[in-house]
Amino acid sequence: MIVILLSVRFCQRRGVLLFGGTCVVLTVVSLLLTRSGSPYSGSINGAISIAAIAATTYLVLKIESAQAATYAARAQLAHIARVTTLGELTASIAHEVNQPLTAVVTNGNAGLRWLAAAPPNIAEAKQVIGRIVNEAKRASEIIGRVRHLARRAPAAPDWFDINETVLATIPPVQNQLKADRILLQTELGTDLPAVHCDQVQLQQVLLNLLVNAIESLAKVGYECRELRLATSRGRGGVVVAVRDTGAGLGAELDQVFNAFYTTKPDGLGMGLSIARSIIEAHGGRIWAEVNAPRGATIQFLLPVSPKRYSSVLEKQDVVESRPQSS
Amino acid sequence: MQDDSIVFVIDDEQAIREALDSLFRSAGVRAMSFASVADFLGSERPDAPACLVLDVRLPGLNGLDFHGEMDELGIRVPVVFITAHGDVPMSVRAMRAGAVDFLIKPFQDQELLDAVRVGFARDRLRRASLAAMATLKERYESLTMREKEILWLVVAGQQNKQIAARLGLSVITVKLHRGQLMRKMQARSLIDLVRKTDILSRTIDRGAIH
Repeated sequence: MIVILLSVRFCQRRGVLLFGGTCVVLTVVSLLLTRSGSPYSGSINGAISIAAIAATTYLVLKIESAQAATYAARAQLAHIARVTTLGELTASIAHEVNQPLTAVVTNGNAGLRWLAAAPPNIAEAKQVIGRIVNEAKRASEIIGRVRHLARRAPAAPDWFDINETVLATIPPVQNQLKADRILLQTELGTDLPAVHCDQVQLQQVLLNLLVNAIESLAKVGYECRELRLATSRGRGGVVVAVRDTGAGLGAELDQVFNAFYTTKPDGLGMGLSIARSIIEAHGGRIWAEVNAPRGATIQFLLPVSPKRYSSVLEKQDVVESRPQSS
Repeated sequence: MQDDSIVFVIDDEQAIREALDSLFRSAGVRAMSFASVADFLGSERPDAPACLVLDVRLPGLNGLDFHGEMDELGIRVPVVFITAHGDVPMSVRAMRAGAVDFLIKPFQDQELLDAVRVGFARDRLRRASLAAMATLKERYESLTMREKEILWLVVAGQQNKQIAARLGLSVITVKLHRGQLMRKMQARSLIDLVRKTDILSRTIDRGAIH
């Protein structure tokens, strides 16, 4: 029973069933092999054991599916919340900026009419032009406020180990990987220099890439669902690559980082765009490649401060053997 | 638009109200603006052909909802919607409810002026038919009970003889009443009388007549 309870942590449904079945078979075998003792009490014991194993297996499977449902619901909720907030934010900003713009356009049109009148009404025209200036300023102030709002979550750069950060992003998607039967491989470079950046933002980027890869992998057959997370030394910094064997990016490689570009039916087209702005804010760059025979690789390079790591850099560039795709 | 037509603007944003006010004045259109539906309802408005330029997003009562309640409130001014965040379902809803137009901010001045002109034309038509209706009603009310009775029988296609028999009158008397009611209703022919009565019957409770 303990074996079955443990098995649920590591296996899929089929695995658990397999363990349950094995336990039943072992019990029967042990019953048959046990020569001593009365056959009657032996068979009673055996029957109770088998019933207990079956019940445990059943309950464990129940728990497992309930857990999966919970995770799925949570993920869905998080996605909806994200999309809704962004949508609302955009709509509200659009509305706020549109009001002064409308005033500008309307005042401008009125001004043209006042000037086109015979004789031109200069006083009225002056008044509307004054309003145009004020409203344009107001629009610019609104944009300034939005920028301020966006800046309110300040980047908190710190030195840390890139591999630790990469590994820390796996648990949140672990369940999805399991549910979609995706094989995750990590290929973490050794002796990588510490990077200097905002860890939360970096994890946000990584999570985004992982979620994209998982969604892309869910579109292809079970037999070829592979996800590889790799870190390595790159020119002037550390490269993190998320490689999948999924459905790929389509032909528009140079567009994937543009805002509002998406290949998903319900996508916003913001994920990679935000990822790019985060990476670029850290002085790095992010790019996409097509894999053969299928899938995509998104990788980014985070620069390492040349002052602090210049000596390490030179040494490691020589011993670097893995080919860099940059 | 040199007539006395007036456009009412309801928009909570002062800058938009000022801009629209200037635009309408520059185009020679009288305008009055209000910051809210409550302001509009509480105001003394001139009795002239009008059009209402209504913002969809308003504090308190939303423009679309107000449009839906206008009939009940007895306000029958044609409405041109303006909105900064219009979508297709919203515009469909507005147009179905009888709006003249649904303009997305920022709109072209000509679009708005054209829409307002359509609104004025609609309102003038409505007011004219309302006035015609009032005249007809007045004429109808000037008829005696007997004349009213005969009028409905005439337009129902009854001959003088049939009417006389039904009301227990002489044919001569019926003819006299008939001549009198034709004069009072200012009907030039039987067909004219039928048409006028038809318009009347849409507003008058026939039950009270018979």
